[in-house]
Amino acid sequence: MADLSLNANQSLRYYALGEQAITVVFADHIDPDISHKIRQAEIVLSNHPFPGMLTTVAAYTTLSIYYDPFMLKSHQTINAKDIQEWIFGYFVSLMDRVNVDMQATADILFIPVCYGGEYGPDLDSVAAHTGLNSEEVIAQHTSQTYLVYMMGFMPGFPYLGGLDPQLATPRKTTPRNLVPEGSVGIAGEQTGVYPLDSPGGWQLIGRTPLRLFDPKSEKPILLQSGQQVRFERLEHSLFETYQNDHYGNKTS
Amino acid sequence: MEIKLHKPGPFSTIQDLGRLDFLSSGVPKSGAMDSLSARLANAALANTDEVAVIEFTYAQADIEICSDMLLAYSGKGAVFLDEERTILPANRPLALKKGTRLKLVPDGIGCRTYLAAPGGWDVPLIMRSRSTYLPAKIGGVDGRLLQTNDILRATNWEDKHERLFDYLHHSKRTHPQWAVKPMWQATSNTQVIRFLRGPEAEWFSEESLLQLRSSTFEVDRNSNRMGYVLRGNPFQKIKDQEMLSTAVLPGTIQVPGNGQPIVLMADCQTTGGYPRIAQIAAVDLPRCGQLKPGDRICFQEISLREAENLYLEQERHYQQMKLSIDLKYDIT
Repeated sequence: MADLSLNANQSLRYYALGEQAITVVFADHIDPDISHKIRQAEIVLSNHPFPGMLTTVAAYTTLSIYYDPFMLKSHQTINAKDIQEWIFGYFVSLMDRVNVDMQATADILFIPVCYGGEYGPDLDSVAAHTGLNSEEVIAQHTSQTYLVYMMGFMPGFPYLGGLDPQLATPRKTTPRNLVPEGSVGIAGEQTGVYPLDSPGGWQLIGRTPLRLFDPKSEKPILLQSGQQVRFERLEHSLFETYQNDHYGNKTS
Repeated sequence: MEIKLHKPGPFSTIQDLGRLDFLSSGVPKSGAMDSLSARLANAALANTDEVAVIEFTYAQADIEICSDMLLAYSGKGAVFLDEERTILPANRPLALKKGTRLKLVPDGIGCRTYLAAPGGWDVPLIMRSRSTYLPAKIGGVDGRLLQTNDILRATNWEDKHERLFDYLHHSKRTHPQWAVKPMWQATSNTQVIRFLRGPEAEWFSEESLLQLRSSTFEVDRNSNRMGYVLRGNPFQKIKDQEMLSTAVLPGTIQVPGNGQPIVLMADCQTTGGYPRIAQIAAVDLPRCGQLKPGDRICFQEISLREAENLYLEQERHYQQMKLSIDLKYDIT
């Protein structure tokens, strides 16, 4: 096994995001390995928080660390003239001490999708735009493994990488007022799943009965950055059965 | 220890200091827009900072007190009146008898009022916070706006509350002489708001940065708990570069393609892809939380160290005040 500490071969840098957060920059470009490192770093840091640390936000190439300067300064053993330098130093030395296994990527999560029809009203327009027929669109969409690069935009929404460029289709010119929870869509070169009912302009090719956002459950957010997912086809007739089996009869 | 809302007001929710643990999963922070006033209302009842309060926007609420209890409110732009239309003062505990009706009426500058109860208002913790976030229908009362006939219960009526209530009642007063002291007064519809340069400030022309420091911006109608659109001359982006989505937080000022800046507020997304021209100083974010459409902002640039020192000073002051209030409860 090659590598190594999270900080190996890296020139990490940071900037202040106001007086209550710093953003650590890992790279300038999107890269699956970088995403993996950022996720690992986030886990390590959350297991070893410094006094006053509040939370973290992982993105494509950055990990932002939120803190309360007053709580940090009130801590007797910390004598930091430059709070941001101190936090960055803490982070780098933590990363130097921790090894990460780059092989240890998580299992692939399968997302069942009912494609087309009432569940995916734009499947035909995506097919028309790409020059494929709808069966070919479904075949392409289910043949790839996608990586969750980051979460954002709305609770539980994954930014997925790995869409076959052949499926790229521009957003709808007029966004819908209501895209139902679970809708699977394409926007440009991205594909994604809406965790909540919301307005939106993505081309909807299907819908999953799986809940990406389930606030009252023990694990309210299904996906996390660094995770790999695949879509698999589900018969339309099984949509409600699936929900009843997994979430009981009440499908709100 | 209950109250009943006969009129909830046009936009009222339960909030605490926000939901911090799921930002990295895309769940917004939420929480009180004017967090300082929310904390003051809690401090007046010797509550801890993070318990839930009611956030009223634009007043117009009508409340019935269903049992003898203490309440406290803080904020700007409204006052509570009793049946005799006597003003009940903000920023101190109010001893209220069962059956009292309170009306929250607009008064002065600002738009958000925070009502605290002993131990906080009793609503379930959802994802480790009681803050309402309407788009995901989570927090507060069933993830929704408060509505007519809602009944809200105080979480924890302690001996110290009982003692103060009895003391005030026997001396035939509704409130003590002492009060928590607000850290700023809303004296004008134009607020001076201090900011730090944002990570992408150099992506904008010098004129744009000058404009940010020297002109007045109006809060657009299209503004809510997620953010305020600011009206003024559009900013000019000079760097021809797209950004990869990265963290944003309440107080971030981002500039989308049309050049109209947006101040992100409590319910903002956790990440964004628009250049961040500035970040509002943490001490001035609660003031922004009192702005409403038509109000104006004058921005003033300060350094990171200045912003940090202002915040440290505010917190030291606040902690001292909180200790002295807790002491007043202890010796009653």
